[in-house]
Amino acid sequence: MDFVRNFPFISIILSLFSGPLSSILNGKWAKRLNTAVISVIGIMSQAVLVYVLHTGEEFVYYMGHFPAPWGNEIRVGVLEAFMAVFFCVIMLLCMMGGIAERQKEIEETKQNLYYIVVNLLLCSLLALIYTNDLFTAYVFVEINTISACGLIMIKQNGRTIEAATRYMIMSLLGSGMLLLGICFLYDLTGQLLMSNIKEQVQLLAVSGQYHIPLVVSLGLMSVGLAIKSALYPFHAWLPDAYGYSTLSSAAILSSLVSKGYIFLLVKIFYRVIGFDVVCDSKVINVLFVFGIIGMIMGSVSAIKEKDIRRMIAFSSVAQIGYIYMGFGLGTEVAVVASVYHILSHAATKSLLFVAASGLTDASGGSRHFRDLTGAGYRNKLAGVAFTVGALSMVGIPMFSGFISKLLFAQAAMGHTHKMLPTLIALAISTVLNAVYFMKTVIRIYTPVPKNPDEATVNVLPTTECRNISAKEQPVKSVALFLFIVLNLILGLNSEPIIRLLEIGINMFG
Amino acid sequence: MSEIFMLIVILLPLLGGILVPLLHFKSRRSMLIYMETVVVLTSGLMFLLLLNRPEEALTVFRFTGNLSITLRIDGLGSLYAGLVAFLWPFAMLYSFEYMKHEHNEKSFFLFYMVTYGITLGVALSENILTMYFFFEMLSLVTLPLVMHTRTREAILASRTYLYYMLGGAAFAFIGMIFILTYGTTASFVPGGVLDMVKLDGRTNMIPVIFVLCFCGFAVKTAMWPFSSWLPKAGVAPTPVTALLHAVAVVNTGAFATMRVTYFSFGPGVLRGTGAQYFLMALIVFTIVYGCSRALKETHIKRRLAWSTVSNLSYILFGVILMTPMGLTGAMAHMLFHSFMKICSFFCAGAVMYKTGRNYIHELDGFGRKMPKVFTIFTVSALALMGVPGLCGFVSKWNLAKAAVNSENGLAYIGVAALLCSALLTAIYMLTIVVRAFFPGKDFDYETIRDVEDPNWMMLVPLLVFVIVMLIFGLHSGPVMKLLEEIAADAVIG
Amino acid sequence: MDGMILISIALPAIAGILLLLNSFMEHLKASGTIGKEPVVKKTTEEQLRSLHIFTGIIMAVSAGLTMATAWTGSRSLKLFVLLDEIPVYFQIDEISKLFATIVTIIWLLAGFYAFVYMKHEGEEKRYFGFYLLLYGVLIGLDFSGNLITMYLFYELMTLTSMPLVLHNGSRESIMAALKYLFYSMCGAYAGLFGIFFLYRYCDSFTFTAGGTLNMAAVSGHEGLLLIAVFVMLVGFGAKAGMFPLHSWLPAAHPVAPSPASAFLSGIIVKCGVLATIRSVYYIVGPGFIRGTWVQYTWMILTLVTVFMGSLLAFREPVFKKRLAYSTVSQISYILFGLSLLTPTAFAGALLHTVAHAVVKCGLFLTAGVFLYQYGLTRVEQLKGMGKKMPVTMWCYTVFTLALIGIPPTAGFISKWFLAQGSLQSGIHVFSWLGPVVLLISALLTAGYLLPVTMKGFFPGEEAEGMDFKKEEPSPCMLIPLIILAVLAVLLGLLPNPLIQYVTQAAASVLQ
Repeated sequence: MDFVRNFPFISIILSLFSGPLSSILNGKWAKRLNTAVISVIGIMSQAVLVYVLHTGEEFVYYMGHFPAPWGNEIRVGVLEAFMAVFFCVIMLLCMMGGIAERQKEIEETKQNLYYIVVNLLLCSLLALIYTNDLFTAYVFVEINTISACGLIMIKQNGRTIEAATRYMIMSLLGSGMLLLGICFLYDLTGQLLMSNIKEQVQLLAVSGQYHIPLVVSLGLMSVGLAIKSALYPFHAWLPDAYGYSTLSSAAILSSLVSKGYIFLLVKIFYRVIGFDVVCDSKVINVLFVFGIIGMIMGSVSAIKEKDIRRMIAFSSVAQIGYIYMGFGLGTEVAVVASVYHILSHAATKSLLFVAASGLTDASGGSRHFRDLTGAGYRNKLAGVAFTVGALSMVGIPMFSGFISKLLFAQAAMGHTHKMLPTLIALAISTVLNAVYFMKTVIRIYTPVPKNPDEATVNVLPTTECRNISAKEQPVKSVALFLFIVLNLILGLNSEPIIRLLEIGINMFG
Repeated sequence: MSEIFMLIVILLPLLGGILVPLLHFKSRRSMLIYMETVVVLTSGLMFLLLLNRPEEALTVFRFTGNLSITLRIDGLGSLYAGLVAFLWPFAMLYSFEYMKHEHNEKSFFLFYMVTYGITLGVALSENILTMYFFFEMLSLVTLPLVMHTRTREAILASRTYLYYMLGGAAFAFIGMIFILTYGTTASFVPGGVLDMVKLDGRTNMIPVIFVLCFCGFAVKTAMWPFSSWLPKAGVAPTPVTALLHAVAVVNTGAFATMRVTYFSFGPGVLRGTGAQYFLMALIVFTIVYGCSRALKETHIKRRLAWSTVSNLSYILFGVILMTPMGLTGAMAHMLFHSFMKICSFFCAGAVMYKTGRNYIHELDGFGRKMPKVFTIFTVSALALMGVPGLCGFVSKWNLAKAAVNSENGLAYIGVAALLCSALLTAIYMLTIVVRAFFPGKDFDYETIRDVEDPNWMMLVPLLVFVIVMLIFGLHSGPVMKLLEEIAADAVIG
Repeated sequence: MDGMILISIALPAIAGILLLLNSFMEHLKASGTIGKEPVVKKTTEEQLRSLHIFTGIIMAVSAGLTMATAWTGSRSLKLFVLLDEIPVYFQIDEISKLFATIVTIIWLLAGFYAFVYMKHEGEEKRYFGFYLLLYGVLIGLDFSGNLITMYLFYELMTLTSMPLVLHNGSRESIMAALKYLFYSMCGAYAGLFGIFFLYRYCDSFTFTAGGTLNMAAVSGHEGLLLIAVFVMLVGFGAKAGMFPLHSWLPAAHPVAPSPASAFLSGIIVKCGVLATIRSVYYIVGPGFIRGTWVQYTWMILTLVTVFMGSLLAFREPVFKKRLAYSTVSQISYILFGLSLLTPTAFAGALLHTVAHAVVKCGLFLTAGVFLYQYGLTRVEQLKGMGKKMPVTMWCYTVFTLALIGIPPTAGFISKWFLAQGSLQSGIHVFSWLGPVVLLISALLTAGYLLPVTMKGFFPGEEAEGMDFKKEEPSPCMLIPLIILAVLAVLLGLLPNPLIQYVTQAAASVLQ
């Protein structure tokens, strides 16, 4: 069974090399390769997860069998393995869901490029998940950024290029700050391996030396990753990037890329700095405040939006706010809640993106609300899927969003000062979510009036509408169906998952 | 009876409803027979369950840890379940006739029946999570009913409806989490479940959280300042307005406030706190506010809706008194008001159905042309006003008695508000009655020649409700005794 | 169990409902439904006669039954428990007997009068239906033995008497009826407010002379209870036309058919008095409010009403409205007597109740005669009436004198008792202020009623051209008038049995 220990490394290498390999294949085969790679990696990660759960402790994989500090380490615990599985699943579903759009929106000759980028992205995500080396993490953050830019740009129209540029600039700013933070830490501790840094930091924390540089370093890293994951005031790049890129890109960006950074932040908190030290610093209060503001402001912006894709994109800002708010609470329970929200948001948001595209397809490709009137009747599956996603976002029991809301609120209860703000922010944000998501749901289930008159003239679609049956786009339909199932699993069968996360977090600490 | 029947009784109308659009019916009549059978079967089963109450709880599903969907029948729950189970078959009969002229009846009946199951779910909830679950579900399944006509007005109303409902639930959620965290258990236990040891140092949070939670649940009962959704939701077909927005949905809100006040937070902790006074002030204001809005309204259904706003706050007033008597009064009014209001709504619906007239000034002389409907309407109006001998007086009496006995200064003002509202009720109900029966000597009956009483499917439910009102009004002893027992059980400490 | 009580309430009520149903069915048939042509049918003489016979028999029988029930032994009847162990309970005591008797007499006379009068208003069936029903309700009210039963019938009375007000169906009368309804409801609810609080502090709601307050429970809550009692007094005062809830009276009385307004003015307003007596003397107990601000404020309100009513009547040109204002003023005489809380004043109040019922009923019936015969409504139109119908005018004069309080008429005796009670009461200012106001009001009464008599008999120069043909109304209308006039005088000439009776009643209530 120990062979399984090699799997994480293999999966990183596999995805890394499948990238260049795709460049010599044509679009069709690149797609098949990509699907195969994601599936294989998913299965391998599953094996790793089972293995780790079975042994009950994390293991370290020395690359090239050199121990640190010379060699590079991979460290695998329950949480890492689980994340890898989950990311693979979501990525696979996103790719499936966006298949039609890709064929339509990307030039024939560039199809295979897309798969290169996706493979690289997967590689970098896996590396971010598994690595135990801070500098390696930085390297893969950069790879991640670059491949994300590729994802945005691939559609090649003015909007996406502008969005990609914006994304690039903001992301580089974030990476720079992350790098600065890492440098500070290296100066303080003389180490780059996470576990080694942690030992040193603990010593520093006990002795009280270098308190301010430590906080500054932590702050730089947090803010850097916050920018990259679009925490509220740094979200300017997000709506365009999510709103105009091709469907699978948007879904992957929103559900995976930003989550990869957040997961790295969790790792930094636990693995690098030590959670106690993080909690003692004031940095988490800053995250808390921005998280809460993000929850509200993201939704407010979404309410104003008239374009369904951009609306969903803005909703991401709010959801990222939830996650940071959980970090800000600074308790173990809250972090579990945040990580759970990573899962639930990833599952829901990509579902919403895919479903929204189904609806826009049925409305002549227009994303404007007005044109979506009655779209739920024209594309039934997409309508149902969108409704499920919306209900999950609003936090209706049975769907995944409810569980994360529940966990957040429970976490908040343990806190004396942050309890009331958190609870009220949760409630208000729920109301706001309800406003824009349910507005959309009602809109797509409003039939187009047969005999339009004065009062109804502004709900008439301006574009050509057509009915789309589930059979017309079989892959997308399957993807939607699986997304719904995934959502329901997260909502109804949350207990084992939460237990898994708790075990994982404990292994972290 | 076995516990599993509790689940069956919820699932039966749910599945039965979902089957409506799937099955092919030869005629409208066979659809009626099918639906009525399902509903009557459910109600029958429910009553059997109430008579042979299973002692144990039934856990249907477990979310995480102690969070589970669990069903159990206790006193308060059985009252509500019984009420709903009694009303639904009659409402079904009525709505079947009413919906004859509306489109899309299948989808209507689908949700109408599903709502039945969900409402029973609320009544049978064993813990706060289950109740919250059904509470949310109720908002969602009633939404298609509100937007049934799909007119622009209905769409806008349904939006408002949903925002209020989900928003309310969001705040109720806070209370639920509080109970889950600081309660000894999530279940409903008479006297409350708050664990003072766990709460150590945070007791000052209780009133704040309670206010948020109470307001959240009270959104469904249309307490001021969350009342404007109810009149707007009147665009729905009358069976919906009557059964859901005068009984099922709004009473679910009231029922939920009873649950959290008496079974989760516990009256002992809350009595005399600022929370009680604050909420009572809101409620007392709503009592008067609802009536005065009703008075201004000329659309008959909206007028009744505002009246509901006011009357539901009677119930909340009883709840917030936090005494056994208060709860008794609240339950009594919940029970009686349902009959009175559904009856008056059905009368209004009959008028709209037969003549398409919506405004009060159009009802001149109808008393002579629709004598049965308007006689019944008069009785329900008198009951709403609280004329002795009809059930409205009994609940009003009990509420006022409780308020006087609570020896709470604000509650005295509440008594005055009750009576003030009764007077306003008299004004806005009796103006309709007088108009209908005494249109003036120069009134030309030729203008309303085509007006006549509806058929038996509409009249039978009305008649039954009137009889119930009379029975409760004249012989309230047994039912009040029952309610007192339930209340005594609920208020320990 | 005593079925007699039940029968005397149920018989007229059921007969009334039957009549109403019958009238309703007739209308339904006449107005036609879809597909059927309306059948226009005039009520024929024959039908009318059978209606009169039916009503007459029911009236006679139920009046007889009621009197028999009231005056033969003490009876009580517990029907069933309405709520909270409080039954619907009837019990006959001195007050019940007195009120039931007045109600019956006035009801019979006004009803008899209406046989002819209502020809001119139409819709007789409906009128008599409600009229019979109302009698049942009133007897229920008079016989009721606890506060809840009384409240029950009090509400019913409002509802059943309202259709009498809007009988003619004009817009004005409908508005007046609604006004009447809402004021009454307002009053009833204010009363109910008091009842709610009393329930907390009373041993029982059964009427017991001297009150049933549980002093142990009350201690510490006197202020609250006083407020409640005060609200209750104002509330029941609404029906009795006490300031500030008096304004329904001048609106409702003039638009109702004259026999109805006679009945309203003579009887319905007295029910407010009855409710006040019951709640103050039989539940709260006079001892509790004696010497408190409630008593003083109550007195001030009554005196204000007495004065104001007279003044408004004095200025009023419409005859029936003038009479209505006069009622406002006169009823407050009674309430003033009650507010003094002394035996003499209480006796005076009861006496005035009787006197005023007789007199005011008579006055309205007279007004009805003018209206019926000539359609005259304003005071200045009544010149020369004494020459046209001397008997009627003489009756009117008797009533006027009685109302002013000139011996030997009924009004004198009652006012005498009231004044005496006031002087004896020993309440500082009010003991003399009361009689002064009463006196001024009596002068005003003379001022607003006597001119009609004078102008009636002596129309003056301008009426020279008028035709003074004698046109007395039909005996059906005249006989009640004469009976009432005789009664008004008799009560003044031979007051002793009545005085004895009321002093006894007063003594039993106020030891």
